[in-house]
Amino acid sequence: MPAYDVMPDIELFQPVSVEDAAELAGRLGEKGWLLAGGQDTFGWLKDRAKSPEAMIDLKGIDALKGIRETADGIEIGAFTTITEIAENPIIKTRFNLLASAAAHVASPQIRNMGTLGGNLCQDTRCWYYRRGLSCYRAGGNTCYASGPESMNREHAVFGASRCVAVSPSDTAPALVALEATMIATSANGSREIRAEDFFVGPAVDIVNMTTLQADEILVSVRIPNTWANAEFYFEKVADRNVWDFALVSIATAMKIEGGVIRDARILCGGVECVPRRLTAVENRVVGRPKNDATGDAVAALATVGAEPLHQNQFKIPLMENLVRRALRA
Amino acid sequence: MDIAKVREDVWGREVIAGVSWDLLWLVVVAAFVVIIAHIVIMLVLKAKAKASDAGKRLERHTPFDRWFHWVTAASVFVLLVTGVFPIIGINFSWLTIHWIAGIVLTLAIVVHIVRACFWQDAMSMWIAPSDLSEPFDDAQKPGKYSLAQKTMHLVMSVLVLVVIATGIALFLQIDTPWWERSNAMTEATLGWMFLLHGLSTLALIGVTALHMYFAVRPEKLFYTRSMFKGWISEHELSANHDPARWKPSE
Repeated sequence: MPAYDVMPDIELFQPVSVEDAAELAGRLGEKGWLLAGGQDTFGWLKDRAKSPEAMIDLKGIDALKGIRETADGIEIGAFTTITEIAENPIIKTRFNLLASAAAHVASPQIRNMGTLGGNLCQDTRCWYYRRGLSCYRAGGNTCYASGPESMNREHAVFGASRCVAVSPSDTAPALVALEATMIATSANGSREIRAEDFFVGPAVDIVNMTTLQADEILVSVRIPNTWANAEFYFEKVADRNVWDFALVSIATAMKIEGGVIRDARILCGGVECVPRRLTAVENRVVGRPKNDATGDAVAALATVGAEPLHQNQFKIPLMENLVRRALRA
Repeated sequence: MDIAKVREDVWGREVIAGVSWDLLWLVVVAAFVVIIAHIVIMLVLKAKAKASDAGKRLERHTPFDRWFHWVTAASVFVLLVTGVFPIIGINFSWLTIHWIAGIVLTLAIVVHIVRACFWQDAMSMWIAPSDLSEPFDDAQKPGKYSLAQKTMHLVMSVLVLVVIATGIALFLQIDTPWWERSNAMTEATLGWMFLLHGLSTLALIGVTALHMYFAVRPEKLFYTRSMFKGWISEHELSANHDPARWKPSE
């Protein structure tokens, strides 16, 4: 790093209302950067890989914080910390899948600072991209991670389209399983986005990981009671127990009556640029008991269509084993 | 306004990354200005009386030629939509549709070249020196194709060939059902391919806009009809072409 290298000039805005923040986001557009807990942002800045002209610090907006009960579930402000979510009694009681996923995010220090919005909107951890190389995702013409000599152990086995990066969010699969809705606001108004539609793969948008526009702010996440108190399972496999991103994770929500699965939503993280819903597995487990036999019968369905890279074939048996484990009695 | 985007490659060297898509708006505005200017000029000039479509019908385009034209037009249209819409912010899963349309266009052009070389009079579409006086001499009428049509064909041919050649090079850089991407092209070469592909695309947008404009001009509509139905009338032939240089069959 050259000796003259210092933090670049960034104009800092600290709005105290969502309206002001949305107005700023609309005015600054691509030049602006939304700052929440900073756990993704500061990495980019320290590596000098991104250099926004202006930063909108959302910390002063109280409306973005906290967990509220609504008529049909709960609403979580986007600035609510991951620790608050992991420890919140309502979430632990009714939507423990999210609490469990939140408890697996990074490390205690990062969970204390990191926010739900930041965890959902964080950029991919592909190190070629994070290094600042001019890959497809950075607006370039190639993918450094998918070549025959590339380091792609952590990358996608599904849905790659030129870019092979994966979503690093632990809470994303849980929220899709819970049929959550994201609320995004801009100066032009608010819109609701189904969690399933919130994340976007490279085939549709190769430079963004969510459908949020440059002028939009994720203000909250609503979780309906549809899956409240269902049977949940979350497991994350990573190289370290803490402070690491998932190689593969699984988030399941199941409604079980009389020992038989009546409905299920099963998702994997770390295998695609979006949380991957295992619909073939979901369809097959309905009407069957939750036990090892069912797990063995459906596990292979989880990986149909997988296209592993040369260093991540291990994700195939890992996904199948996670499905088996999620379906154990 | 830049013509090319420049980026650093993996070694930190500056390389061309592709065309600057700001040029898209320049092309759109330029095409619009040319069309408006032409409309004004045509309004000022005395309009030529429109030839009647009654009477004997003479074949201008065979069914095969018409099919070729519309297949080519459809594939170019799909290629432009799938290539340009994501750039202007309309996101959808475009890549597979794009390369399938590219294959259709390539096959159509290959068939057309072979047919034109061995079964048709390829020179009838080539610009001869004698054609150059055509715009300045009211008495000189063209054979089957006017100088304007030959010029449009020549420009389209060059642009489509460039877009196909660079498109094939770029096609090799993505995964398809038949191969995995080669990853063999350097970033500098890849950037040049993207630049040429982008420039030819931008030019195609402009030329296609002009082509469509001329296709719907009142005095040219009979050509458009002939591209649908195949025929022009005897009056239209004598008013716009030299029967001595082009003798169509009935």
